[in-house]
Amino acid sequence: MTFTQALAYFFREAAVSLARSWKVSMLAVLTIAVSLFIGGAFLLTGSNLASLAEEWRGEARVVVYFEPTAGEAERRAVRAAADGQPWAREVVEVSPAEAAERFRASFPSLGDLLESDGASPLPASVEVLLAPEADAAAVSAWAEGQRGAPGVDMVDDDRDWLGQLEALTTLVRGAGLVLGAVLLAAAIFTIASVIRLTAYLYHEEIAVMRLVGATEFFIRGPFYVEGMLQGLLGGVLAVLGLYAGSQAMMTQDAATGLLSRALAPGFFSPREAVALVLLGGAAGLLGSLLSLRREKLDEVAEVGQAEG
Amino acid sequence: MIQFFHVTKSYPGGQTALDDVTFDIPRGQFVFLTGASGAGKTTLLKMIFREEVPSDGQILVNGRNVASLPRGKIPYLRRTLGVVFQDFRLIPRKTVAENVTYLPRVLGHDAKSRKNLAYQALRRVGLAHRTKAFPTELSGGEQQRVAIARALINEPELLIADEPTGNLDPDLSEEILRLFLDINRRGTTLLIATHDRELIQRTGRRVLTLNQGRLVGDESLEAPATVPILRELDREPDLDREPDREPAEVDDGQEVEA
Repeated sequence: MTFTQALAYFFREAAVSLARSWKVSMLAVLTIAVSLFIGGAFLLTGSNLASLAEEWRGEARVVVYFEPTAGEAERRAVRAAADGQPWAREVVEVSPAEAAERFRASFPSLGDLLESDGASPLPASVEVLLAPEADAAAVSAWAEGQRGAPGVDMVDDDRDWLGQLEALTTLVRGAGLVLGAVLLAAAIFTIASVIRLTAYLYHEEIAVMRLVGATEFFIRGPFYVEGMLQGLLGGVLAVLGLYAGSQAMMTQDAATGLLSRALAPGFFSPREAVALVLLGGAAGLLGSLLSLRREKLDEVAEVGQAEG
Repeated sequence: MIQFFHVTKSYPGGQTALDDVTFDIPRGQFVFLTGASGAGKTTLLKMIFREEVPSDGQILVNGRNVASLPRGKIPYLRRTLGVVFQDFRLIPRKTVAENVTYLPRVLGHDAKSRKNLAYQALRRVGLAHRTKAFPTELSGGEQQRVAIARALINEPELLIADEPTGNLDPDLSEEILRLFLDINRRGTTLLIATHDRELIQRTGRRVLTLNQGRLVGDESLEAPATVPILRELDREPDLDREPDREPAEVDDGQEVEA
């Protein structure tokens, strides 16, 4: 028998077996699908958060807020200190009225809060947009210097919370990898158990095949392929589930727009999606390899001989 | 064909299944292996197809040292043998044709070739008309004939059988025995384990007797002149009861799925 013939036989037998014990097979498929879905969701979220952090880092700024009593001279001094700095892409002065206008645009339902006494309660500020290649130490030193400047109430450096976002991104990715690995291990164990159950279902046949002179490769091949098919199927379901979830989040209304923007602006590339499916296939193959180690299959065949 | 040289089989618990067994079965011989239950018959047969390994001694099967055969070579040994068991070992969810064509499938025969081989093997045992039946639809005798067809499909030089008539009534036992005699007439060496002394006496062939693992007898019996089995065989040796038809006609053109 040629290798091609053997492969064709393995796939045919595996398909028959999957159809024959589809309920048990579905258990394995769903287990691997869930583990890949959860692991994939974490990785996808981490990837999207990283993209978002990168995007926001491109828009990062240092904002100097003034006390209500601060005058034009204090604001001009801060602005002058920022102008001409190599890391400052743009310097913008925001009046209390402009700040109020921005607030109303961002939070229309909360606009009434600003009109209680007719005057804008928001402080004037100077926003310094950072260049992408900004020297972090120089920016920090400048911001620190402004904290004690006359008329300055507070200095808000976007990079502080962007750093936290990036730390969160790393945490999410790490959690995804750990959780995904644990769940994948559980899925491999499930597939191993299912393949072993299937082998017991075929124990008489295994015993007969050994008796007539089938090689171990020929006997085990269909089980390996079956485990791999279960894993691939689980991988496909996981990718479809992640895509559906991503699309569902993207179509959320404005109230949850921020969440969808943070979690679902991008999906896996085709190559990454295929890799996830192949990971499922590899997990299935590994499960079947583990379940059909020589001594395990010997036990199965012995049952076949005893009962046969 | 089969040579045992001082073969001993002991188990870790101290139990000895075979004790210093030596014999030689030439090619083409029909030999019974007998003894009480637990005498070591099944262990001896299992050693021939390397299901068991001797603790001591050597076994040659068709010139091949079975005891020292690497595990990877065992399938190739088994392909040259035919093995039949008391409990038939047929797969209930497979058709008769599928049951007999396991080895051709392993060897890579295509569906058409498997169908032909199944037909030829089943024709030899008189069951060419039952290719599409399932084992549960057959009588005990027919099931055993299917098992024999499976053992014969690769034209083995050696056929071994472990209590092949143990589950059958006397009439069916005689039918199976006639089949074995016919197979032997065509040149196949047979080693049949049975504790049915009457069957052995009526057939009259070489008999190896085991007792508690030791070979205590090796004698050749003469069959009584009045035994109907042999009279019938002398008159009509061919058990091919099926008409010479092409397999396609038998199977209505359907392929054998093995």
